[in-house]
Amino acid sequence: MISMFTFAITFMVLAIVPCIYRIIKGPTIPDRVVALDAMTVVIVVMLAIYSFDRGSAFFMDVALVLSIIAFVGTVTIAKYLDEGVVL
Amino acid sequence: MIVDTILEILSNIFLVIGLFFVFLGMLGLVRLPDVYNRLHTTTKIGTLGAFGVMISILLKVGFSPIGVKAITVGLFLLLTAPIAAHMIGRAAHRHGVGLCDESVVDEYGKVCTIKK
Amino acid sequence: MKRYIPYAVILGLVWCFVHGTINLNNFVLGFIFAPFIMIPFKPLYNFEHDFSVKRGIKKIPPLARYSFVLITEIIKANIVLAKIVLKPKMDIKPGIIAVPIRTKTELGTTVIANTITLTPGTLTIDISDDRSFLYVHTIDASDPDAVARSIRDGLEKYVLEAFE
Repeated sequence: MISMFTFAITFMVLAIVPCIYRIIKGPTIPDRVVALDAMTVVIVVMLAIYSFDRGSAFFMDVALVLSIIAFVGTVTIAKYLDEGVVL
Repeated sequence: MIVDTILEILSNIFLVIGLFFVFLGMLGLVRLPDVYNRLHTTTKIGTLGAFGVMISILLKVGFSPIGVKAITVGLFLLLTAPIAAHMIGRAAHRHGVGLCDESVVDEYGKVCTIKK
Repeated sequence: MKRYIPYAVILGLVWCFVHGTINLNNFVLGFIFAPFIMIPFKPLYNFEHDFSVKRGIKKIPPLARYSFVLITEIIKANIVLAKIVLKPKMDIKPGIIAVPIRTKTELGTTVIANTITLTPGTLTIDISDDRSFLYVHTIDASDPDAVARSIRDGLEKYVLEAFE
């Protein structure tokens, strides 16, 4: 009998595989950025499940900070591709 | 007693639905043809799947610090995903990434070249 | 000073949610420190807009209706896209079309753009220079008029009465 935790983490690791395929294969730069952004969502979900399983709220802080950094990074790369400057 | 059982079953259902939708979003990343269609799946399916997992955690633990922080992360993802998708889509079009071969109409193309 | 208060209340609630425990102590702490956050980032806040409690209470029923429509649309969008991803044969007709919008304020335009992104099969790419058109990438562009009509009748009505 596998636990719900093992099932969820295994499923999320399986969900990372298509993202890595797209990051390596992706024909253009925006493809890779989209794949990285999607991979961050999967890692945030994994961190949330892990935090619930361990009963510690600190991993949820890590998830919040990771989602903020992913958003800022995506916007920065988009601005760089668009205008050629970051600021 | 019976309420606890119902909440447990409901949260497990939310968890399975959320995980399934996240997996579908990442599968769409491989299957769909060009960058704009891939943005559709990761923005909508991925975000709602993550939100479902967060609701399931909230139902399991109640309003303890873990549950409140989980719902904060879910709301933050729901708020910022459309903005990131909009920025990446516009940057891709201006950077010169064309639409896929199945596309039927592009009314932004002529405006975009004038802007440059 | 009076204009800081609504934003300070919102930032205090945000601090409660980020901290993880919702009680009066955390709310008061966030409320006291909110102006120190707002002064360096003054251009981001809209201080000309006048808040009145009476108008705010009158806005609650349209906001509730808008939230209900938004939740149902998001769930519908996910089912539509899941069908497209799981179908063995890919038969989609994507394209970028121009959709006219009627919102005037900046808040209304932002809300309608983000709402379009979260609804079935559409994704906002850009806004025209005179702010009367949104360029929308749709996954089924075989009938552009139908997409524009569904946005105008289905969503824009609720956004107009809730945020303008």
